Amino acid sequence: MTSLLVFRERVKGFYQKYDIYVTAFVKFIFALITFLAINAQVGYDSRLESVPVVLGLSLLCAFTPSAVMVLLAALVTTLHIYSVAPIISIIIVIIIMIIYFLFARFTPRLGYVLLAVPILFFFKIPYVIPLLLGVIASPVAIIPTACGVVLYYLLLIIKTAITMQTNNSIDDILGIYTYIIDSLVGNKLMVMTIVVFALSLMVVYYVRKMMKFDYVQEFSIGAGALASILGFLVGDIILAQSEQIFIMILGNIASAAIVTVVNFFKLTLDYTAVENVQFEDDVYYYYVKAVPKMSVTTPQMKVKHINVKNVAHGISRANLHKYDDPEEGNDEDDMYFGRDGKDDGWNDKDK
Amino acid sequence: MLNNNRIRMMTKLAVYEEKEGKEDIRLSKYYKTDYVRYQTIKSVICATLGYALILTLLFMYQSEYIIRNAVTLDYKTIGIFIAGFYIITITIYGFASIVGYSLKYDRSRKKLGRYYKMLKRLEKIYNEETPES
Repeated sequence: MTSLLVFRERVKGFYQKYDIYVTAFVKFIFALITFLAINAQVGYDSRLESVPVVLGLSLLCAFTPSAVMVLLAALVTTLHIYSVAPIISIIIVIIIMIIYFLFARFTPRLGYVLLAVPILFFFKIPYVIPLLLGVIASPVAIIPTACGVVLYYLLLIIKTAITMQTNNSIDDILGIYTYIIDSLVGNKLMVMTIVVFALSLMVVYYVRKMMKFDYVQEFSIGAGALASILGFLVGDIILAQSEQIFIMILGNIASAAIVTVVNFFKLTLDYTAVENVQFEDDVYYYYVKAVPKMSVTTPQMKVKHINVKNVAHGISRANLHKYDDPEEGNDEDDMYFGRDGKDDGWNDKDK
Repeated sequence: MLNNNRIRMMTKLAVYEEKEGKEDIRLSKYYKTDYVRYQTIKSVICATLGYALILTLLFMYQSEYIIRNAVTLDYKTIGIFIAGFYIITITIYGFASIVGYSLKYDRSRKKLGRYYKMLKRLEKIYNEETPES
């Protein structure tokens, strides 16, 4: 555990130092995964699949706000479908616009969720989203999660619809259109998924908020994953969908693990990095670089803790222990290191 | 002379202004009623657009039936239904916007209050430093 904490401090320090590059790089990777996943699922247009286009788009996403990535992903998907079935792409645009006007515009900061849900569905771990949002957001996040689920099932339906399309006669198009709407509106699996995701998110959120004990966050993630597993089991039994159960349980466990790791680094993630600000008064211009103070790394803290105890009880007692317990003798060495070391101020503060 | 205390304060204020304060300061340019009204109108317009698009989809879905029975359809009932659902939709969106954006405005005002308090303190330090101005 200690080495993990140290590792976290290192990550924090690294992030603080190279904030701009790390953020851009992470965004680039996410964008790359997104566009590759889109190409793998609906890659009908070979021009959009070419490496320069994918890399270029990802690079653009690295340096622009996350809303641009969501927009570009929607655009790429629509263009892919446009290249084989123009009419279906119009339907997609209309449905995306309905989702935006009625739901997504109220949670602009969670726009990326719309994108993340379908992508994670393709990796079989969509359960990450409700668990994670339960930890970092509020129940309002159910709205974008539900929209994301709808988008995923829409994409699945459209993939089937494209294979059905044979010619471009009006009857054929109407038939495909009716098929898309029928499958979307009557999709019980989709409704069940939305309900279970909402349940899982609420469980995580309320356990985290209402209960007060050690490791409540980890516990809440576990409870959310359990709720998700139970919910999907019940749903699968009702809908008689038994072939996915094993993958679902594995996916839930993997998601809980991922969210636990993310939660562990959460302090790092929303940690304010170095700020560069400028202002002026009558006499000067100020160009200030404000660096947040780093907390002391854990091993140092441990050394000091032992040291405090010994200093408080007097050196003679420490010397006494030296003969009693060989382990404590090491502490005494630490003590001298601590006392002569630079960080003596800490001891005074602790006392 | 450089006054470290003052610089620290100015830095904090500047960081706030650049990050989360941006939105708060933008909101502070509105009166509460104006802001809430403006946002509510925006939501109602968006809800209207969304509703119109859903109607379009519905119309396309039922187009065969509608064209076949164009003469015998009960347009009055359909019209009442469409209008009724529309009124329900915009009422829900309107009320939700009024409540939601009022809360948002109040929260932002609270944060801004702290900012102004600090600004005042800064002014005091500044005046003490340069009594002639």
